Amino acid sequence: MSQIQFEEQMKSMASEMQYPYTPDIAGFVMPRLHTSTHARFNSKALAWSLTIILVLLSSLMFIPSARAAIIDFFQIGAVRIFPPQPTPTLTAPLEATPTTTIPETTTPQPTSDLLLLLNKIAGKTTLAGAQQIADYSILLPTYPADLGEPHYIFVQDIDGAMTILVWLDPQHPDQVRMSLHFIPSQSWVINKMGPKVIRETQVNGRKAIWAEGPYPLKIQGSSDVEFTRLINGHVLIWADGAITYRLETDASMEEAIKIAESLAPIP
Amino acid sequence: MDEPTLIRLATNGDPTAWEPLVLAHQQAVFRLAYLLLGDPDEAEDVAQETFLRAWRALKGFDSTRPLRPWLLSIAANLSRNRYRSAGRYIAALTRAFRNEPAALNIEEKSTQNMDASQLWKAVQNLSLPDQQIVYLRFFLELSVTETAEVLQVAEGTVKSRLSRALEKLRAIIQQKFPVLIEGREA
Repeated sequence: MSQIQFEEQMKSMASEMQYPYTPDIAGFVMPRLHTSTHARFNSKALAWSLTIILVLLSSLMFIPSARAAIIDFFQIGAVRIFPPQPTPTLTAPLEATPTTTIPETTTPQPTSDLLLLLNKIAGKTTLAGAQQIADYSILLPTYPADLGEPHYIFVQDIDGAMTILVWLDPQHPDQVRMSLHFIPSQSWVINKMGPKVIRETQVNGRKAIWAEGPYPLKIQGSSDVEFTRLINGHVLIWADGAITYRLETDASMEEAIKIAESLAPIP
Repeated sequence: MDEPTLIRLATNGDPTAWEPLVLAHQQAVFRLAYLLLGDPDEAEDVAQETFLRAWRALKGFDSTRPLRPWLLSIAANLSRNRYRSAGRYIAALTRAFRNEPAALNIEEKSTQNMDASQLWKAVQNLSLPDQQIVYLRFFLELSVTETAEVLQVAEGTVKSRLSRALEKLRAIIQQKFPVLIEGREA
């Protein structure tokens, strides 16, 4: 049988495929257009899933180290923050947490070599390119007024398209002024272990966390993820709908919140 | 009202313009998710999520482009992520608790379509990207141009990838599903 005959045969067979009846997707979607409700949480399987999760969590509560891990974290969207532990058993929560954890390889302080690092980060693109890849709206800060468009834009696949926008300092173009991450909800859970600074705050009335870096970033030519920081500053983390935002800046927390609350669609 | 007009209205926040677009494309989106995930409940979740995400991202969509490839692209990404996610294990556990089969049992429902379901099983032996291209071209019967839009690659790339996927599929069929070829030749 020739390749063409084989193709024709496959097409003919595939066209006979019987599918389950298409459910009323529009009936579910239309009432939810103006809410941030996640469709998957409305699944028919939700009740069962929650029951199973509760059973699993209840079982874990009998293990002291797991109990500590379950109780002691803040979660904002895709980011979990584990506060510093008073005892030297810092690694216990990490071992016991049933989520993806990423090995921390490096945490360089910002130096004038940062521009070299920026050129090594994987997934460099343009704003238009990023918006095509990402299935969410990329927002830009409208404050401060002189900020303009980001100088570097990256999109990295972390089980979802994570967008990273980087602005350089106009006074010191070899330094990064600010960076903003967009992390989709289906990506890894990122565990931030024991940052020295943690403060609970709000962005647009939603719970937010003011903590310390570093970021997980993919570097070109490497399948590994490195933890690194671009700025010797803090990170403001908040979630809105399906996206978790991380704003890293050396500005004050109040200034970071003003920047976060100024996010608007690309004009 | 034509599709570009409906998209423009929806982009300006008119939900009544989004509804006919959902109705027009929900079947293709649901079927692609079903082919990739093999579970109607999960496919339904992915289809719902696809239209909610698309609505939220409409401002970034070029209304002169056809909507279906973009929607299928979102659905494929969501299905791929779900395929690899812990959520699938929870779904599998859920089914185990409910004592349900892993997927709707197509074979029992459609004796006339045994070949199609056997072909689907054969395709499931391919890598996820190869499965996707076969589903788009043969099962959903998208054109090369539409498939290229969904996969965001050149049309030539679609042809070469499809050709490689079919070579692998043919080997799989000869080895594991010979009845598919023998049956048709007889």
